[in-house]
Amino acid sequence: MKKESYIVLPILAVLCIALPLFYGDRYVIGQATVALIWATVALNWNLVFSMAGVFSLAQLAFFAVGGYTLAVLNGHFGISTWIALPVAGLVTMMVGMLSGAACLRLRGAYVALLTLALSQALYLLIVTDTACFRTEGGNCIPFTGGSRGLSRYEDFGFREFLPYPVSHIGDYGLAAALLIVSLFVAILVSRSPFGLGFRSIRDNEQYARARGLNRFRFQLSVFAISAAFTGMAGALYAGHFRVMGPNVLRLDVMLFVFAMIVVGGGLKIWGPLLGAAIITVLREVSVSFDSWQPTILGGIMLVVILLAPQGVSGLLALVDPRQRAGSRLERRKREGI
Amino acid sequence: MESIIQIFVSGLTLGAMYAVGTVSLSLLWGAVNVLNMAHGALLVIGGYASWYTATRLGIPPFLGYFSAALVSATMAVLMYLLILRWLKGRRGADVLIIVATFAIAMILENVVLNVFGGYAVAQPAKLSGGVYISSVFVPAQNILIMVLALVLMALLALILQRTALGRSIRAVAQNSQAAVLMGIKVQHTYIAVYAIAGAFAGFSGVLWSSISTLSPTMGFDPMLKAFVICVAAGLGQIGGALAVAILLGLAEAAIQYYVGVRFALPFLLLAVVALLIVRPQGLFGIHGKARQ
Repeated sequence: MKKESYIVLPILAVLCIALPLFYGDRYVIGQATVALIWATVALNWNLVFSMAGVFSLAQLAFFAVGGYTLAVLNGHFGISTWIALPVAGLVTMMVGMLSGAACLRLRGAYVALLTLALSQALYLLIVTDTACFRTEGGNCIPFTGGSRGLSRYEDFGFREFLPYPVSHIGDYGLAAALLIVSLFVAILVSRSPFGLGFRSIRDNEQYARARGLNRFRFQLSVFAISAAFTGMAGALYAGHFRVMGPNVLRLDVMLFVFAMIVVGGGLKIWGPLLGAAIITVLREVSVSFDSWQPTILGGIMLVVILLAPQGVSGLLALVDPRQRAGSRLERRKREGI
Repeated sequence: MESIIQIFVSGLTLGAMYAVGTVSLSLLWGAVNVLNMAHGALLVIGGYASWYTATRLGIPPFLGYFSAALVSATMAVLMYLLILRWLKGRRGADVLIIVATFAIAMILENVVLNVFGGYAVAQPAKLSGGVYISSVFVPAQNILIMVLALVLMALLALILQRTALGRSIRAVAQNSQAAVLMGIKVQHTYIAVYAIAGAFAGFSGVLWSSISTLSPTMGFDPMLKAFVICVAAGLGQIGGALAVAILLGLAEAAIQYYVGVRFALPFLLLAVVALLIVRPQGLFGIHGKARQ
């Protein structure tokens, strides 16, 4: 990842404000809200891939932890969703650091396998949870809601203080704000000496370690930042839909978010955001082939991996003559010419 | 006493099935450096191939094992020829391969779901009846699974140790460039590795579905267990993976019996995580390989 410029921030902000002004349609805004939430997850997931160089598959587990934190705090303990949202970020950050500490001692494929297994264990524990935590109107509600999920909790309450025709803007604005803040932090991290440290570790670990950089501490911090934002995205998702179930831990959801990174390209920090937009539009277009959607997504991913391994953002970068010269040089270096 | 026999019977059955599935993953990792996320999908394809030939084509059910091995092997070879071949040697190839096989898995499972439907069906390639070992009923299918696993393992060991193909597989696994220089047809060896790994995956798909049911998503759990075993043994360590598979099967049966079914996977994962913190290269792995 090259030094990122802040220019993508105002572009994203303008796009986020322009959408409800030009397409205020309830359905479009609803879908855009969800797309913004997934874009936040993809952005932070890519942070773990490209900056820490860790191939972790635990991102949706963090997402689920955040969502469940909000659902449990509000549903079981009556704590306001506005307090639960940052708390979800904190809790997920802790979980992220814990699982990071366990996984980061390993490399590549080992991390992928372990994180995948961890999120599947979480899924199984939630689905098989049947012990009553409390009963409501004769219904037994397990702590995690079991396979049916938790649904009796509040949303962010925008309906009460926003007038009817624009009440759905509330969640949208919140999701956009989270994405913009998250993008800002990501750029900040990538530009800081901290971020340079990450890149040096990824590019040449032995040299970086010889210069006194601690790989473990750097990677753990990226895990923490990434998990915190992903957890808040999960809490937003839970608050938006007012139902939180174990289905977000399913493999096809993971593929869906993963496709955003692959299609958008992970080399640029805004690649996953572009990917989120492309995948969301594709999904809307192909809605009539509903049952074949995983095949369509998988096929697109394969084509992108084979023909444009750096994704659409990588292709766009090729148009830039400076980058083209750079990549030509790099290729020559690689081929030893 | 009875409970101990019970645990041993189900533990060894699980272990035998884990071993067959794990060999497929371990072979691909060890010989061609591919982490196959489509392993579960190959299991599913094998299970359905057996079911299809027995119920729709009217071929005797026990031949289902062969049709499963054949179809899954073909699928694995196609996977290599059409996609994975082009990713070799690229920058970040290991991650690209994980992503690509993941996408292939999704496509295969989705196609199975759309063609055969989402309802779980029974696997016809299955023995009925059983024997009693001091009042514990042992289903014949469990015995068949253990015997078949033993035979398959012996067969694999024979191929790897005693044949020209086995020698070239081991050479390619050690150093593919040196293997080319020694006149080994690396491309052919790769195809053979994929075919063997695919056949084992298909076979294991029939075994799995014979004691549970056949559904488009049945491959995920066996795949996860195979991953855990591979990681615990050290990726690419085929012999070690077998030992861990049996051990894990027994441990799982014991946890299921004494603690509860839902805690088996979390317990095993905790144990593996603890193991990896002490020995990042796994039980039998060569030191330094996990950390590169």
